[in-house]
Amino acid sequence: MVPPTFLRAIEDSGFSTWLRESESPFAFYFVLLFHTFGLALLVGANTVLDLRILGVAREIPLAPLKRLFGIMWLGFAINAVTGVLLIIAYPTKALTNPVFYMKLTCIAFALWIVTMLKDRVFAPNLDEATMMKRGVTLAKWSLVLWIGAISAGRLLAYTYKYLTYPCQ
Amino acid sequence: MNLAHLHLLLNHFPIIGTIVALGLFIGSFIGKNDDLKRSSLIIFVAMALISLPAFFSGIGAQRAIRKDPGVSAALMDRHEGAAMLAVFLMLITGALALIELWNRRRIAREKLWSGNLLAILLFSLVTTGVMARVGTTGGDIRHPEIWDVKDVTQETGISAFVHMFEPTPSKFTDLMLVSKYWWAFMMDLHFIGLALLIGTVGILNLRVLGFEKRLTGASLHRLMPWAMAGFGINVLTGTLAFIGMPSYYAFDVAFWLKILAVLLLGVNVAIFYLTDAFESVERLGPGDDAPRFAKLIAGSSLFLWFAVITLGRYIQSYADTLR
Repeated sequence: MVPPTFLRAIEDSGFSTWLRESESPFAFYFVLLFHTFGLALLVGANTVLDLRILGVAREIPLAPLKRLFGIMWLGFAINAVTGVLLIIAYPTKALTNPVFYMKLTCIAFALWIVTMLKDRVFAPNLDEATMMKRGVTLAKWSLVLWIGAISAGRLLAYTYKYLTYPCQ
Repeated sequence: MNLAHLHLLLNHFPIIGTIVALGLFIGSFIGKNDDLKRSSLIIFVAMALISLPAFFSGIGAQRAIRKDPGVSAALMDRHEGAAMLAVFLMLITGALALIELWNRRRIAREKLWSGNLLAILLFSLVTTGVMARVGTTGGDIRHPEIWDVKDVTQETGISAFVHMFEPTPSKFTDLMLVSKYWWAFMMDLHFIGLALLIGTVGILNLRVLGFEKRLTGASLHRLMPWAMAGFGINVLTGTLAFIGMPSYYAFDVAFWLKILAVLLLGVNVAIFYLTDAFESVERLGPGDDAPRFAKLIAGSSLFLWFAVITLGRYIQSYADTLR
C-alpha cells in the first residue's frame, strides 16, 4: 500500500525539509531535546505524584503537591508543540507506524488520568487517607501508561517502515 | 590531551583507590571507627564513578596504538575483557556503598555488622583483585619488560580462573546489537530512569529554591532512594549501550561533556552531604527559606541534570568529532 500523498506534501515543504536536513544544532535535535525536557517535566512530576499516592515517602504532605500539576501542564505544552514539529519533520515515518498511534493512545489516557487526579484526588477539603484511597488505581494506571508512552516513543525510533516518503 | 592521555591519567584511580578504600574499610572494623568506614564507602562510590571514564577512554587509547607493529591485538582484547568484568564489579561495589551511606544517615546507632557490609567487603575484595588484573594486563600491552613468561597470553593459575569470567569484548558488543528490540528496550529503560531521576531530584531542588514552601525538606529527601534507583538504571543501561557501540560514543565530544557533567554531579552531591547544606535542608519546615549555600547547590544540580539531558540528546550529531 502506498502511503497517502499528503505526507509527501508535508515533507516537501520548506519547513519540513529544513527541520530534517539542516545541520544547525537548532533544527531537528533542538526539537528532540525539548521533547525530552517536556518528558522529564511531565512524566517526572507525575511519577513523584503517583509514587506518593501509592505510599512512597508518606512524610510528604499530599495537598501541596497540587503545585506539580502546573509543571505537568508546562511539560505537556512543550511536548504538544515539539511533537507536532517532529511529525512535520518526518510525517511518513510517524504516521505509517502503528506504534505511533499506540503512543498517542497511551498519552491520551495518561492525560485523562492527570485531569482525574486533579479533580477527584486533589479536590478541596479532603483528608490524606481519602485522597490516597481515591488515587491508588489512578496512580497505578498512570505509571503503566507513561511507561507505555515512553516505550512506544522509543520503539518509534527503531521500528518505522519508511523514514521518508518512498520514491516511486 | 587526547583520549589515550585521558585513559592513562584516569586508569590508575580505580585500581589504587579501591585498594586504599578496602584498607580503610577493613581498618574501620578493627578500630571500630565509624568515620573511617564512611570515608571508605565514599571512596568506593567515587571510584565507581571514575571507573566509567577510565573504561570509556580505553578505546581511544586502543585506536592510538593499534597500528603499532609492537602491539598485540590479543593483549588489548584481554585487557578490555578484564576491564569489562572489573567495571561491573566496581559498579556493584559502588552501588552497595551508596546504599550503606544512605542507611547510615538514618540509623542512629550503627551496627558493627550487617548483610550489606559483608556484601561490600566481598565485592570490594573481588573488585580489588580483578582491578589488579586490569592493571597488569594493561601494562602487558606496552611494557614487555614486565612479562614474566615468553607468551603472556598464556593464562595460568588464578589468572586462568579469573579469565573464565571475563567477557570477550567483540562478543559482548555483538550481544548488545543482537536485536533492535533489545536496543530499544535499553534506551526505553534509560528514558524511564531519566523521568524517575529528574522527577525526584527535581522536586527536592525546586523546594530548596523556594517552590511550594509548604513542603518540608526532610520529607522530600525520602524520595532520594528512587533517584538513586533511576541513576542506577541509567548507569547500567548507559554502560551497556557504550559496550554495544563503543566507537560511536567514545569519539563524540557531546558524550564526554555528558560524562563530565555526571562527574560534576557526583561532586555536587558530595558537597551537599558533606557540608551543613544537608542539615539545613533537612530542617526546612513549612514556609522556611533555604540558606543561600543550599540554594546554590540545588540550582547547580538542576542545571547539571538538564545539561546531562541536553548533551545526551546531541550525541548523535557530534559522533566522530574527536579522534
